[in-house]
Amino acid sequence: MYMELINALPGVMNLSNLMAVVAGVIAGIVVGALPGLSATMAISVLLPFTFGLEPLLALGLMAGIYNGAMYGGAIPAVLLRIPGTPAAVATSFDGYPMAQSGQGGYALQVAVVSSSIGGIASAIALMLLAPPLSKVTLLFGSAEVFWVAVFGLCSIIFLLGGNVIKGLMSACLGVFISIVGTDPILGVDRYTFDRLELLDGINIVVLLVGLYALPPAIDLLESPLRADSVKSKQLGTESIWQTLPRMLRFWKTWLRSSLIGIWIGILPGAGGSMAAFMSYNEARRNSKTPETWGNGEPEGVAAAETANNADTAAALIPALTLGIPGTAVAAVMLGGLLIHGLQPGPMLFRESPDVVFGFMWQFLLGAIFLVFLGGSLATNTFAKLLNLPRPLLGSVIMVLMFIGVYSIHGRMFDVYMMLFFGAIGYVMDKLKFPLPPVVLGLILGSFAEENLRLALRIGRGDWSILLANTTSQFLVLMTLAVIFGPFVKRHWLARKASKQGS
Amino acid sequence: MTNHQWRRCLRPATLTACGTLVLVSIFIPTTLGLPPISALLPGAILAALSVLALLLLIQDQREAAQPQQEQTIGTTPHRALQAFALIVGYALSVEWFGFYPSTAVGIPLTAYVFGYREPKGLLLATAIATGGIYLIFSYAMAQEFPSGLLWSK
Repeated sequence: MYMELINALPGVMNLSNLMAVVAGVIAGIVVGALPGLSATMAISVLLPFTFGLEPLLALGLMAGIYNGAMYGGAIPAVLLRIPGTPAAVATSFDGYPMAQSGQGGYALQVAVVSSSIGGIASAIALMLLAPPLSKVTLLFGSAEVFWVAVFGLCSIIFLLGGNVIKGLMSACLGVFISIVGTDPILGVDRYTFDRLELLDGINIVVLLVGLYALPPAIDLLESPLRADSVKSKQLGTESIWQTLPRMLRFWKTWLRSSLIGIWIGILPGAGGSMAAFMSYNEARRNSKTPETWGNGEPEGVAAAETANNADTAAALIPALTLGIPGTAVAAVMLGGLLIHGLQPGPMLFRESPDVVFGFMWQFLLGAIFLVFLGGSLATNTFAKLLNLPRPLLGSVIMVLMFIGVYSIHGRMFDVYMMLFFGAIGYVMDKLKFPLPPVVLGLILGSFAEENLRLALRIGRGDWSILLANTTSQFLVLMTLAVIFGPFVKRHWLARKASKQGS
Repeated sequence: MTNHQWRRCLRPATLTACGTLVLVSIFIPTTLGLPPISALLPGAILAALSVLALLLLIQDQREAAQPQQEQTIGTTPHRALQAFALIVGYALSVEWFGFYPSTAVGIPLTAYVFGYREPKGLLLATAIATGGIYLIFSYAMAQEFPSGLLWSK
C-alpha cells in the first residue's frame, strides 16, 4: 500500500519541483504576513497561472503556500498584534507581549519551529491515513459515491456552525452553478442563455477568484489599516540554531498540539483557528505556570502555531480520499486538482498515484523548508514589508486577478463572470453566508448528479437502489447524524443546564 | 407604510430572501422545459432554494421585530461600492483601451483614490508592477492581453 508512496519520492526530488515548493513557502509567508490576505486568497489568485505547469509543480506551489501562509500569519500577530490570518489569533496572545519585551525574534523563532513540527506531523498523518482510506473508498459504487457527496455537503454546512439556513443556501447556490452548461449525459443546454461561453459550464477558477480574491481586495481598499510601524528593537538578533535548545522543553506541547491539529484538520468545517484555540487552551490547562500565559509565555506561541500548521495536510485527508474538502483552502486545492484534470476521490490514487503521493511529499518538504526559510525571513527587513500601503496592495491584486482569469480562455467574458461572483461573494461574506459550501457545492454538485443518474440507470429507474446496500445505509445514517447531531447536542446541553439550575 | 416597517422590508437578509425568490421564479420556466432526468437536480435545488429563502425571510423578520436589531452590510458601504466600481471600471477600460494603458493608469489611480498619495511610491509601484507583468507574461510567457476595442476599430 505504501510502496507507491515511496516510488513517488524520486519524481518530487528534481530541482524544478523543489524550487516550486521553496517559491510557494516564500510566497505563502509573504501573503500570510500581510493582514487581509490569506492562503485561500493566494492559492485562488495563483491557480490560473498554474495552467501551463506540470501538475506536480502547481501542487508544490500550493503546498508551499499553504504551509508558509500558516506561519506567515504569526509575524504581524507577534509584532503588531494583528493576526495575518484568522488561525494566528491565538499566537498574538503571548507573541505580542514577548515582542513588547524585546523578545519578538525569539517568539517568531518559536513560531517557525513549531509551525514546521506541526506541518511535518500533519504531512506524515496524511501519508499514513490517506492510502488505506482510499482503498476502502475504492469499493464504493455510484450510489455510495452519491451519498458520500451528500454527506460532504451536509457535514461542511452543519459543522461550520452559524446559520444553517444560510449554509444550505450557499451550498444550493454552488450546486446550481455546477449545473450550468451542457448536460453531460443528454447533451441538453442548461441555463446557458444561448451564450457559447457557458456551454462548458462555469470554470471553477473564475468562481474561486471571484469569491476568495475579490472581497479581500475590496477590503484592502476600503479599510486602510493604520498599523504601528515595526521597530527593530522588537526582534532579537540571535540565530535560530542557538535558540533551538531552549525550545526543546516544549516537546509535550508540540506532540499534543500536533494531535489536536490533525484531528481538527480531518473534521470537515473546523479549520486552523479552531485548532489553534483548542491547542492553546489545552496547553495552558496543562501548564505548571498558567498565570504567566497571556503575558509572554513562549509555550503559548508554540501551542497555537503547532496546531494551526498540523491542520494543513490533515485537512486534505477527506479531500483527497473522498473528494470532501474540510476547509476553504482544501476546497480551493481541490479546484487546483480539477483544473489539472485530476478528479479528487478514491480513483485519484489509482489513476495518478505519482501526482497524489508526490503532493504528500511536497507537503512534508514544505514543512521542512519552512524552518529554514521562515527563520531567515523573520528579520527586520522582512518585517518592514508589513508597512506596505494597503491601497497599493489592493490595486496590484486587482490587476493579478484580471490576468489570472483572463488567461484561462483569453476572453473578457470570464473577467465579467469573476466580477459578478466577486460581488456575490462580497455581499455573502458581509451577510455571514459561508463561502466554503458554495465551492463544495460546485465541486460535488455535478459529481453527485452524475453518480445519482448512473445509479438510477443501473437500477433501471428504481430509487430504492440508493439504499440497497449496507454502505449506503451507513452513509445515510452518518449524514443524518451530522444534520441532527448539533440539534440533539444543543437540546441535551440545555436540558442538563436547566436540571442543574433547578 | 411607516418608517419602521419600511426599514424592516429593506433589511439585507430580507432583500436577499426576496431576491432569491425572484431568481428562482425566473429559472422555473427554463427548468420545466428540460427533459425530466436533466431537470431532476435543478428542480430539486430551485425547490430547496425557495423553501430556504422563505425560511430566511421569516427568520429575519422575526429578528427585525426585536427593536434593538439593526443590520448593515458593511461599516463603509460607499467605500466598498467605490472600490468595486473602480475594479469594474478597470475591467471595462482594459477591454476598450487595452491592458497596459489601463494598468498603468489603474494601479496609481486606485491607490490614490483609496488614500495612498505619495507620488514617488505610486510611480515606483506602477513601474514595478507593469514592467514585471510585461516581462513575465508578455515577454517570457507570450501571453496576449486585450489591445483595446477602441484602437482596433
